[in-house]
Amino acid sequence: MSVRVLLLLMAFHAPSALAAEADPLQSVMWEYHHKGLLNSEPYVFDERVKVQVPPFAEDSRQVPVHIDARALGDEVVRIEAWADLNPIPRIFTFTPGEQVVPLVAIRIRVEQATPIRAAVLTRDGVWHIGSAKVDAAGGGCTAPSVVRAQPGWEDRLGEVIGGRFARGDFSRLRLQVSHPMDNGLVGGIPEFFLNQAQLRDTDGQVLAELELYPAVAENPSLSLEVKGAQDTRLWLRDNNGNEFEAAL
Amino acid sequence: MRLLLLMFAFCLTLPAHAELRYTLQPWQIADDVWLLEGSTDNFDKANGGNIVNTGFIVTAAGVVVIDSGPSRRYGEAMRAAIASVTDRPVIKLLLTHHHPDHVLGNQAFADVPIAALAGTTELLREQGNAMAENMYRLVGDWMRGTEVVLPSETLAPGTLEIGGRSLRLLALRGHTGADLAILDERSGVLFAGDILFYQRALTTPNSPGLDVWLEDLDTLEALPWKRLVAGHGPVADDAAPFVQMRDYLGWLDGLLRDAASGGADMNEVIQSPIPERFAGISLTRYELIRSVSHLYPRYEAMALQRVDE
Repeated sequence: MSVRVLLLLMAFHAPSALAAEADPLQSVMWEYHHKGLLNSEPYVFDERVKVQVPPFAEDSRQVPVHIDARALGDEVVRIEAWADLNPIPRIFTFTPGEQVVPLVAIRIRVEQATPIRAAVLTRDGVWHIGSAKVDAAGGGCTAPSVVRAQPGWEDRLGEVIGGRFARGDFSRLRLQVSHPMDNGLVGGIPEFFLNQAQLRDTDGQVLAELELYPAVAENPSLSLEVKGAQDTRLWLRDNNGNEFEAAL
Repeated sequence: MRLLLLMFAFCLTLPAHAELRYTLQPWQIADDVWLLEGSTDNFDKANGGNIVNTGFIVTAAGVVVIDSGPSRRYGEAMRAAIASVTDRPVIKLLLTHHHPDHVLGNQAFADVPIAALAGTTELLREQGNAMAENMYRLVGDWMRGTEVVLPSETLAPGTLEIGGRSLRLLALRGHTGADLAILDERSGVLFAGDILFYQRALTTPNSPGLDVWLEDLDTLEALPWKRLVAGHGPVADDAAPFVQMRDYLGWLDGLLRDAASGGADMNEVIQSPIPERFAGISLTRYELIRSVSHLYPRYEAMALQRVDE
């Protein structure tokens, strides 16, 4: 085999940041979201971005999604997560600072079986795409609110339960916020959801930014990991301007 | 050529004409006590949801039926199976709990009283249509024509005297919050409903808690039973189903507790190793994934504290 043919073959097989790769999940929405959410920027499908979901959604209103880009290390700039076939696809935009690990666990709503994506932007300007598929009976985005059916839910708005768990050199922060996360798709109830969060140190310096979208489930559950054992505070705001704060 | 085309066309039409038929073979497990044993598989288009044990007792006054199966078609097949072993009329249907595989054959028993615990009727009213819809998704055309029929009679715990037979009725809670178990005093056959699963992983969608379920096992095991009919799995003449249930519930409870206190996320918990000793139990991984969704939030809430300010 001549060197030229070999080079040609390599060029053909090597994952290239610039060439459009075929979506491993062959989703009809991939091109659309690549354009809309990633601004048609260069990407690779990258197995180092681990997206974990259950094979099927037992409860389409609370589907756990675990996104882990630790294999890309300090190169990570931002993570975009979405569900291809949801009426509200976007889940979150996460910008971890130096002290925060590129890992997020969260629960979402799905309206039907769908690919779940995590697009991880690295410093070189390339999006690394991780994917997983969840099967579902669906209906999670349009099901009546569980929170609103509970008397006195307004009084519990913004209550946070949380905990800190040692993970070797890291600390995992887990928390759950009482909030209906209304997505505007259910019986005349307008959008009312947490859309902004910041993890801060005790001096108020921002350690990580998290934008949330109403694909996130009611009473959002969230896990993050920080380096070391430093005290942190989580600041949250919803689209009605309510602000909440928790110490972790 | 035309013949070939015809044959081809015929083959194409075959699936649409293939008759979906449940093969229900009544098995006499005691004098006048019969069982229709289902598989320990999951709901599937291949089995029509026949994954459940139903039964009936032939009394002097007529036949008392226990659970109606997963579909109208199953209920009708059940009526035919009953008629194949006795001329006595069906006089009553007892429902052990509201889950779809036990109650969606009710239409075939609309001519007799359908009796259940009050909580079962309430749960079926709330969840029946959604469960039936999901069954259409899981087993397809087997469900054709199936609709929810609510019970017409409310059962209280105690002894039901019927046709010269004493049936001891127990109101339990561990599986769904309203679980009926039936002990036929004469034969000692205990229809445990889904408080007992045997060689098939237990399901938890409506369980009020594994501790409640463990207490129910004590209640049942203390009864003077001779044969055990689990809601799912083979008949047993010894306490093996109780032993397996306690072992499995204890493992599940410990797994969820440890995971929550260690800060694990749901997706990590569903990948937990399943002990080798449960290898003979069908569908453990599948049911673990479901149980984590049902139960883990409660364990998480216990492991987390208020941190808002």
